[in-house]
Amino acid sequence: MSSPSRMLPATIWQRELVEFLQRRRALVIKLSFPLLIGMPLILGGAPLFSAATALTMLFAVIGAVGSAAVLSRERSTGLALRYRTLPVRPGRLLFERLATNAAIDFLQIVPALILIGIRSPAGFAWWPALILTVAAVLAIGNLLGAVASILSDSPGEVMLFVFVPLLPAFFLSGLFTPFSDPVLLTVSRLLPFSYLHQSLLGALGGHPNLFPWETALGGAGFLVGAGGLIGLFGRRVVEAD
Amino acid sequence: MFEVSLDLQAGEVIGLMGPNGSGKSTLLRVLATVDAPQAGTVSWFGRNDRRDPSVRRRLGIVLDQPAHFEQMTGYQNAWFFAGQLGLSGEVAAPRLEELFRWAGLWDARDQRAGAYSLGMKRKLSLVEALVHRPEILLLDEPTLALDYRAELDLIERIQLVSLTGAAVILATNDVHLAERICDRVLFLHQGRIIREGHVPTLLSELAGSKEVELQMHSPVPLENLRALPSVEAANVEGDTLHVVLARGTNPAEVLAVLNGTADLVSTMRVRRPNLGDLFLKLTGVALPAGE
Repeated sequence: MSSPSRMLPATIWQRELVEFLQRRRALVIKLSFPLLIGMPLILGGAPLFSAATALTMLFAVIGAVGSAAVLSRERSTGLALRYRTLPVRPGRLLFERLATNAAIDFLQIVPALILIGIRSPAGFAWWPALILTVAAVLAIGNLLGAVASILSDSPGEVMLFVFVPLLPAFFLSGLFTPFSDPVLLTVSRLLPFSYLHQSLLGALGGHPNLFPWETALGGAGFLVGAGGLIGLFGRRVVEAD
Repeated sequence: MFEVSLDLQAGEVIGLMGPNGSGKSTLLRVLATVDAPQAGTVSWFGRNDRRDPSVRRRLGIVLDQPAHFEQMTGYQNAWFFAGQLGLSGEVAAPRLEELFRWAGLWDARDQRAGAYSLGMKRKLSLVEALVHRPEILLLDEPTLALDYRAELDLIERIQLVSLTGAAVILATNDVHLAERICDRVLFLHQGRIIREGHVPTLLSELAGSKEVELQMHSPVPLENLRALPSVEAANVEGDTLHVVLARGTNPAEVLAVLNGTADLVSTMRVRRPNLGDLFLKLTGVALPAGE
């Protein structure tokens, strides 16, 4: 892989990466977008709870919107059919694609994460949890986008479908108001966004309700769960017309 | 809704012919493992699992809509599919060079696939379908958007592929292509195979018949024509009237039948009937021209 024009992808993850690197304008926008939104939140003195809320929503949306737009566009251009002719089982195909997309999304977020580290070096105890919960939210977001892409061939409509479950999920994760009600608190612990919110709050120097190890465990659980769900939804997503 | 039973022999070239909506593309998609049949089974190399990677590695598929990763170059696209189909770089590189040169795409190999013309995209699809030397090659409208030279090259390549033992199934309404390279042709109409046979056998059914093409200035009553014993089939497509005449009939009789409306005919052409005429005779429906 010497220069972009000579990069020769033979596997699904290599192809995703090559396409990402060759879309230069999109590459610049994708890499700068989380930083531009994250910078005032992280360095601008915003209340830590609100900054963690906004960053959680940003990371979830980055995960969901990218895969939703790409997969719905592929359905309308006929590329989805080409994928269906590949000698790869649907579950593995979707897993490889979404895992690569989530990894690329993670790369987009790295500059914002570095800013968090610079702003609050004392929050490093939260970093293993932060990395796990970011990965989990990106994986879940990508899966959500992939499932939403079944609903329409129009990327615009698919974006709307992505937000329909996301917005109530953000509320139920306690992103807008900290929950004291035990039922709502339990519900929030069943959603991956609450763990990311907690780890961001911790990494930013705030006072989360959970310990770092609890958050890390939650993140790891959702990451494994996302992997299983992607395998489960593989056939439905890959073979949807 | 199909009632299709089809056995495929090594080296055989089969043509699926039928008008739009007859089900030929649907059948091809089922054979290409893209779709599951609504009922019944399809077996590839003795296996019923259409998702079996070992089955798909033995198929070469060109769907009607050429779809590529538009941000990647033509060569990157082909390299990716070669890799997915199990070829190592050492094997893929010389094969791709040979195929790109054959398709006339070698000089454009580093251009983005999105910048390719439709004809180039279809040639790229062919390259991708041939690179792993499939045992069954499935082609949907393979000559669409190809120029005459490319069409001749394609015919040559299909014949070569068939000689090496691969079976070829092509969905096409290009009667000349079908007559030239197909061993067997299946006529599909309304989701069913209405006639199947070797090309010479099918054409012999029309031996001695004539196909008359009349360009009309105004509509003509088809019923009057169809009622004539000498008319085997008649159909109107746009302003063109197609009539298949039985053996021994003088084409001038058609003009006589039009009685008084002959002055409405702008051109008249008589030719040897082809597979399209047989389809017209069997169904009363003309195969779309130019597909």
